[in-house]
Amino acid sequence: MARMKFICDAERCIECNGCVTACKSEHEVPWGVNRRRLVTVNDGVPGERSISVACMHCSDAPCMAVCPVDCFYKTDEGVVLHDKDLCIGCGYCFYACPFGAPQFPQAGAFGLRGKMDKCTYCAGGPEENHSAEEFRKYGRNRLAEGKLPACAEMCSTKALLAGDAPVITAIYKTRVTTRGKGEEIWGWAMAYGGSDKLSDQSGGKA
Amino acid sequence: MRKHATFAAAAAAAALLAACTEPSQDPVRSYAGKEDAKAYSGDAFRGDKAKWEAALAARSGYQNDYAPFRAAGKKP
Repeated sequence: MARMKFICDAERCIECNGCVTACKSEHEVPWGVNRRRLVTVNDGVPGERSISVACMHCSDAPCMAVCPVDCFYKTDEGVVLHDKDLCIGCGYCFYACPFGAPQFPQAGAFGLRGKMDKCTYCAGGPEENHSAEEFRKYGRNRLAEGKLPACAEMCSTKALLAGDAPVITAIYKTRVTTRGKGEEIWGWAMAYGGSDKLSDQSGGKA
Repeated sequence: MRKHATFAAAAAAAALLAACTEPSQDPVRSYAGKEDAKAYSGDAFRGDKAKWEAALAARSGYQNDYAPFRAAGKKP
């Protein structure tokens, strides 16, 4: 096992923000920091799509490449983590990250930045597993409990998948091949079955 | 003479193509922070990596909501 990844199925995401809430709650993330957030394209227009975005734990992570103090490391499972004791809050990683994952708590007046905070894949950080120090700095270490990230396990439509890359890509592939593609995967027929026309549904009005 | 010209042309082509290679320009970075304990080293798995991987694989499998249908031989 070496590639723990997230996949967000945009066809299933209903923009409920359950993943965002689960993350905030699980790790007691400070005010102003969102390790995970939802992005909606064409909001309010039929066919809108939402995806849940956080650190994607890149195989070749740009944040690691630009960090001037080398505070990033990658676990054996492919999770990108960082040492907050080393982070100087310079913000280079924020500019390098294509997903906007690094977050910076406001540490004082005049917009002073604190140490970077980001999604840990619920894998804690470089402190003793399940210690109070680990929870304070990085949040809960669910991976050490044999659990997947809270956001994915909370997802009610299973839009957000987490796990070993081959496993979740196989799940995603099954979905895509089963449901097809195009117009038919959005709307009445997908949700309730039968004809796509509202007038054809029992109780529907022409 | 022709042999020399062929050799020169081959050498020139090789020299030109050498510019097409893409050596890594990334500096070798090393992590400067504290060592992290393995995820399976805690009380839950006591260093049993296989058991930990099996636990994660099982939970990953729960995300496949087509699996119960397939197992029952039904069409989702």
